[in-house]
Amino acid sequence: MTNSRTPSRRGTISKALPDNISEAYMQKYICNVCGYIYDPEKGDPVSGIPAGTPFEQLPPDWVCPLCGVDRDSFDPITD
Amino acid sequence: MTSARKITDNIYWVGAVDWHRQTFDELIPLSEGTSYNAYLVQGSERTALIDAVDPPFVPVLLDRLDQLGVKQLDYIVSNHSEQDHSGGIPMVLDRFPGAQVLCTPKAKGILRDLLPIAEPRIQTVEDGERVPLGGRSLMFFHMPWVHWPETMVTYLEEDQILFSCDLFGSHLATSALFSSQAATILPAMKRYYAEIMMPFRIPISKYLDRLGPIALKLIAPSHGPIHDKPEQVLDIYRSWTAAEPGNSVVVAYVSMHGSVQQMAERLIEALLARNVSVDPFNLAALDLGNFATALIDARTLVFASPTVLGGAHPNAVYGAYLTNALRPRARYGALLGSYSWGTKITAQLQDLLSALKLEMLGTVLAKGAPRPAEFAAIDQLADAIAARHNQ
Repeated sequence: MTNSRTPSRRGTISKALPDNISEAYMQKYICNVCGYIYDPEKGDPVSGIPAGTPFEQLPPDWVCPLCGVDRDSFDPITD
Repeated sequence: MTSARKITDNIYWVGAVDWHRQTFDELIPLSEGTSYNAYLVQGSERTALIDAVDPPFVPVLLDRLDQLGVKQLDYIVSNHSEQDHSGGIPMVLDRFPGAQVLCTPKAKGILRDLLPIAEPRIQTVEDGERVPLGGRSLMFFHMPWVHWPETMVTYLEEDQILFSCDLFGSHLATSALFSSQAATILPAMKRYYAEIMMPFRIPISKYLDRLGPIALKLIAPSHGPIHDKPEQVLDIYRSWTAAEPGNSVVVAYVSMHGSVQQMAERLIEALLARNVSVDPFNLAALDLGNFATALIDARTLVFASPTVLGGAHPNAVYGAYLTNALRPRARYGALLGSYSWGTKITAQLQDLLSALKLEMLGTVLAKGAPRPAEFAAIDQLADAIAARHNQ
């Protein structure tokens, strides 16, 4: 189980982002209204948001792709 | 003459009953009319109006205030910016030049987008903030998304009254001031929850937790009678907002020449034979309120449609779109359909229902009229559904 050759999640992230982007930038956010989770690793293809887009860099008019509420209704996932 | 109705000392209902309104938002049928509840709260030093009324009824509201001899109004609390409550605020502000609107920061922007209210006349309040009236004080709990992003409720701690605005409301025109005297309050509340609040089940369940420890004698919503048994209201809302869905199957169908109707009826009979409760709806003559109410209790949703111009019947599209938007708790789905020379109804209806993340239990399509093979497939589908009910 010490095989360091196995591609890690961290390795996947570093491909999509410059090296200086911190782990905190890849914070997931949950919609308080419908439970949709915005995962920066996946982006939001439905809304044309490419994989690797941090929540903080979503356009101001971005809304939850499931229920349509605005960005203010999202909280970071703490667990 | 239009009199205010006394709730307790110096607290009055000053709203309006809209006995004969037939639809809301040009969408929701109002089978029992509605009311727009505004409340007057008088402290020893200041007076507050809790919400206003739909604009055509402002003269009624002002008349009730006149009957009470109200000469000065200090605050108009705007719990919710939708115009059936806020639309009358500009006229009330004109009448009482010293009055300030109290609302959430989010509501301030929405109110100013919707209504001609000068910026200095709006004062925002924080979550948990108290505004003293003298001898009693208003306390505000921000509760966004019941059912807009700016909503809050107002708690009168000394009197243990919660002014909840649309939350816990009902579209019910009645002469009863209190809901214990209104015979049809429960179905009216359920229907209202289904039509207005169901998409916001998750935040509402959190707000019920927040309200749980708060002492309540009355819940005074903005539509329908005042709840004089608040614990019953919180309990019924807990059951509607719980994560676990009910145990019924909604079968929503539309049929042009009878094929889909035969399939839907076969499924309904097969489910009944397996002791599964069914709520059938003909989408060609849909009562939105009855349909939405049934969605509260649904564990499985079945849509059934013929093929029209290559796709689903527009009424089936409407039903699926509406259901997706109302976001019921249902976990399972299935489709029935008919076609003659090609169809894309399966992908189309599944796409329309995508927000619900249903586990699809099966699709049965008949080429032309359904035959024994399709009926057998429907019976199998009924087995699959029944296995997930009756547990």
